[in-house]
Amino acid sequence: MNQSPVDEEQPLLLTKGQRLGQAALGLGVLGVAVVMAVGAAQLPSDAGYAGVGADFLPWVVALALGICGLMLTRQALSGGFRNMALPSGAVHGDWMAVAWVAGGVAANAALIETIGFILSCALCFVLAVRGLRLSEGKGGGNLKTLLRDVVIGLCISAPVFWLFTKFLAVNLPGLTQTGWL
Amino acid sequence: MMDTLNLLMGGFATALSPVNLLWALAGCALGTAIGVLPGLGPAVTVAMLLPITGQVEPTASMIFFAGIYYGAMYGGSTTSILLNTPGETGSMVTALEGFKMAKSGRAGAALATAAIGSFVAGTIATVLVTLFAPIVAEYAVLLGPPEYFCLMLLAFTTVSAVLGGSTLRGMTALFLGLGMGLVGIDQITGQVRYTGGVLEFMDGIEVVLVAVGLFAIGETLYNALYEGRVVSSLNKMTRVHMTRLEWRRSWPAWLRATFIGFPFGTIPAGGSEIPTFLSYATERKLADPEHKKEFGTTGAIEGVAGPEAANNAAITATLIPLLTLGIPTSVTTAILLNAFQNYGIQPGPQLFENSSGLVWALIASLYIGNIMLLVLNLPLVGLWVKLLQIPRAPLYAGILIFATVGVYGMRQSAFDLFLMLGLGIVGVCMRRYDFPMAPAIVGLILGPYAEAHLRNAVSIGEGSFTVFFERPMSAVLLTIVALVLVTPRLLAWRRRA
Repeated sequence: MNQSPVDEEQPLLLTKGQRLGQAALGLGVLGVAVVMAVGAAQLPSDAGYAGVGADFLPWVVALALGICGLMLTRQALSGGFRNMALPSGAVHGDWMAVAWVAGGVAANAALIETIGFILSCALCFVLAVRGLRLSEGKGGGNLKTLLRDVVIGLCISAPVFWLFTKFLAVNLPGLTQTGWL
Repeated sequence: MMDTLNLLMGGFATALSPVNLLWALAGCALGTAIGVLPGLGPAVTVAMLLPITGQVEPTASMIFFAGIYYGAMYGGSTTSILLNTPGETGSMVTALEGFKMAKSGRAGAALATAAIGSFVAGTIATVLVTLFAPIVAEYAVLLGPPEYFCLMLLAFTTVSAVLGGSTLRGMTALFLGLGMGLVGIDQITGQVRYTGGVLEFMDGIEVVLVAVGLFAIGETLYNALYEGRVVSSLNKMTRVHMTRLEWRRSWPAWLRATFIGFPFGTIPAGGSEIPTFLSYATERKLADPEHKKEFGTTGAIEGVAGPEAANNAAITATLIPLLTLGIPTSVTTAILLNAFQNYGIQPGPQLFENSSGLVWALIASLYIGNIMLLVLNLPLVGLWVKLLQIPRAPLYAGILIFATVGVYGMRQSAFDLFLMLGLGIVGVCMRRYDFPMAPAIVGLILGPYAEAHLRNAVSIGEGSFTVFFERPMSAVLLTIVALVLVTPRLLAWRRRA
């Protein structure tokens, strides 16, 4: 839904960063299209009785994304995407904050199979909370808040681990073979 | 007719068993909670809980999931009335008048008309589903691959071209979804496509992974990146109560909205944004002159009653295409389709014959769920409002833990968690630059089916695409697709001329 519908002819006034972002996005879609086309070219087109083979839809998608990518890039370069709803939130992103959150998710992905679900998720929680608090402009906190975050993280991840592994038979990795940690 | 009634009674017998009642209650409560909380929608919640399909029997888990789907709509209205940031897209219109009502000290009346309106509309819509779903299923048996392909084409066009500000961005999202759907082993020829030699891609990209990545992770990252300084103000609660006049102003709006909302849910128009807006516009136009001036100023109760009812009617009606055709028309129904598939059940016309017990228990549970939700949301609304006091940072960080359970629990792969992060970044870009998400999810889920139907259709036509024009039903559907694409442009062109 558009909160502030803008006429097709009148793109929003954009900051330089937003315009660069839009152009990058258009080129990114174009890049995906190229990758899809390269992949499609390697597929056999043997259709048999079916009339259309395994490479038909890949070509359609590659072609359509190519057209979309071109049009998006063109719009981005000629004043910006049309009919944009104003994005919510701040004009400039808080990259430091998001790095902490993304780092938490990445650390979780990297460590979950070595240190187990509970510890890995608690770590993810601590890093993400720090990032989110930074984004509110509250500062990362001190040793006391850190300790509190660790405890809260453990208090969420441990019961979740037990609930899903014990009652719902979902396989989640533990640090030990006991099934409790 | 008698048949339907008997089957429905059988459904009630199953749904009223203590265990299933408990699942329904759990679903409704959880749904209300996540509807109230910002950051999590019903689609992501169901997606994250999909691993339970390995352990819980189908009827119980479908009742549970349906409760979440429904409950989120009830809960969403509470947030949009009390907080200036609506949770669900369907509640955005409710926020227009609801927030103003709450600001002028009538939060209780707004909450009451929203909950009772949702109940009225949900119940009427469930009756309509009970009556019409078996009929649609009967006709749906007659559809062949060409018709199915055209129906999916229609779903693709409406979900990407009609919704959102821009057809171009909708189409981009759709084809990105279709592209993701291509990864893995081709169902018909066994050809491996787009795996890039990565073993994890052989099984394809799971819908759960994409939904959780785009929505849950994307939302959390977006929040940290852009929304940290957004200050949300909570309105003061008042007693949940409606005066006689407010009742009189509400009920015609509920009924009108139900009949506006229901048809929109049955067609693949991508959810409840259009009907809620239509209902709002209707109520604004029909209101008494003395009440008309409340719109946009102190808040008009019709403007809450209508959209809320339309929302629930549309949400309920989405079950018709899901159950009878196997075609999801919203993100949540797309995930529900996935849940059915986890059990090896394929929704479609045969569902009403092969799994009639499950279907009727599910429909019966909707009646029960609506009553439960009315109780959960009227007398107990104060309980849910407390959830809004959870500070934002631990709330969003906690979501990450649940996202991990949903994605990792699916097939125990840390690779999926990295992919989830990547999709989260894609989600941030899509949100920032106003790309709709629904087309991507619908494309990802329906893409493989559309491809299979396309190939079967063309082989029926002995290798010729003319088969789509020779069969009357598919020709009609193709015409509708063309109309959906052309009409808005024609109208815009005429307006300008």
